[in-house]
Amino acid sequence: MAGSKPQAKPKQAPAYLSRLKLDSPGSRVKMEEVDYVINAPKGKDPSEFFFVQVDPDKCQGCGECESHCATGAIQSINDDDIHKVIDPAACINCGQCLANCPYGAIYEQVSYVAEIFEKLKDPDTLVVSMPAPAVRYALGECFGYPTGTYVGGKMQAALRALGFDYIWDNQFGADVTIMEEGTELIERIKHPSKDKPLPQFTSCCPGWVKFCETFYPDLLPHLSTCKSPIGMLSALAKTYGAETTKTNPKKMYTVSIMPCIAKKYEGLRPELRASGYRDIDATINTRELAYMIKKAGIDFKKLPNEDPDPVLGMSTGAGTIFGTSGGVMEAALRLAYEVLSGQKLKDPDIKVVRTHEGINTADIKIPNFGTIKVAVASGLKNAAKLCEQVRAGKSPYHFIEIMTCPGGCVNGGGQPLDPSVREEASLFKYMIGKINRRYRARKIS
Amino acid sequence: MKDFIKLSRRGFLKAAGIAAGYAVLGFNMTKEVIAATMEFIGLRQKSVYKADATVFKIRKSQDNPMIKKLYDKNKGFLPQGPCSHKSHELLHTHYYNRSAKIKALKSKGIKLSL
Repeated sequence: MAGSKPQAKPKQAPAYLSRLKLDSPGSRVKMEEVDYVINAPKGKDPSEFFFVQVDPDKCQGCGECESHCATGAIQSINDDDIHKVIDPAACINCGQCLANCPYGAIYEQVSYVAEIFEKLKDPDTLVVSMPAPAVRYALGECFGYPTGTYVGGKMQAALRALGFDYIWDNQFGADVTIMEEGTELIERIKHPSKDKPLPQFTSCCPGWVKFCETFYPDLLPHLSTCKSPIGMLSALAKTYGAETTKTNPKKMYTVSIMPCIAKKYEGLRPELRASGYRDIDATINTRELAYMIKKAGIDFKKLPNEDPDPVLGMSTGAGTIFGTSGGVMEAALRLAYEVLSGQKLKDPDIKVVRTHEGINTADIKIPNFGTIKVAVASGLKNAAKLCEQVRAGKSPYHFIEIMTCPGGCVNGGGQPLDPSVREEASLFKYMIGKINRRYRARKIS
Repeated sequence: MKDFIKLSRRGFLKAAGIAAGYAVLGFNMTKEVIAATMEFIGLRQKSVYKADATVFKIRKSQDNPMIKKLYDKNKGFLPQGPCSHKSHELLHTHYYNRSAKIKALKSKGIKLSL
């Protein structure tokens, strides 16, 4: 991988920044068909405010959102069936309601886009990009590529063109996570204890982590103590990264780029300051990145394929599969197999754990060791079933992967929307909505 | 049954209309839409595994040269390896019991799914 060398300051800001009109704080901006409030919270407890909310003027009362919510946080608040996220404590910020609303009535209340543009302009700030694996499998859709096209090289080139100073990659963070979480798993299998019992749950998904903290707090000892990949990469960025690039970490501004809304909550967790600074300064999602690229006037399709800067950017296939349900499991098993058996794993494909929907279980036979029993749950309604089993002391598994969004991060709440949700789905629902509206109007008069 | 009887004429017509609509159109369409969405996600998932097998030359985290450099016993940033004291300080975390607020909501009569 040919990465670019660390740049020496003063940096040269890209020309587009001088003619850029920033969106003003508090304004509402449409980014890839979703409304965002320009609002960059600092030092606030993220448990105190909403990340997604329903616009009552656009809500048609169809209840589609409710059917995608595992906690019941989004519910009807009046006779007109207008919906609302009732309390931040009950919402785990996955954004599946937003992604599945046929009317575009649900919007995001946090967007750091304007602040990031300001930091890119500032010659005194070194802006770090840290994109998640799943972003590169959906970003292309915003620029006319077919669904799922891998655009990793162009994404890195776009981040350079936007003026990010260090092009690091959260796929490297994912590789670090495997080293830590895989090692933790092996330790738990060898010496399970009351503090660190089996099964071990994955802890990469911020929706799931908040879900577990809120609805299954008694199971927290089962949750891997590992931070998520972005939690790890951002802590390394302002320590190890600052050291290798000879940068003052105080001048660094780290941007987490995610397929997710819940990652905005995670980025604001008060405890994530292991580097001595805020580990994560800003979090945006795939839709916001596409908006930034378009706003900068970058011709995405014409960009070359580029690599991230290697030291905190080089990554493996194990890192990239974090973006899909079953991926963390498969990546961890690629490590656990070799450590526990003392043998090379010849074929890294462990297809039995790949999960499209629902709950998937498998027995993984490891030579010189025995069998590891694993489960993968896609979607929190499925996760709850596995949690109940653990709570009852009847879970036979060693390791359980949980992803909040069905299919994993590629289907995250921050990804470009599935066009059919608004087009085909809306045709019939629109009529129902219309009937509802007419009915209500009569009722009032 | 009581609620059903209470239904006004207009309300009944609306319910019957919607039921008929669903019978004709809705059921199949809803099923199709959910299937279509999962197919859409399937395309992205397939692309992930294709990249894993074709784009990335190294497929195991432990074989990544930059991972080896990070954990190098002599010159690495985390020379004690994964789950060491230093990695616990930087890369591990702790969790909070957040159930109290849910109890408070429920005591106010708010219904949740869990």
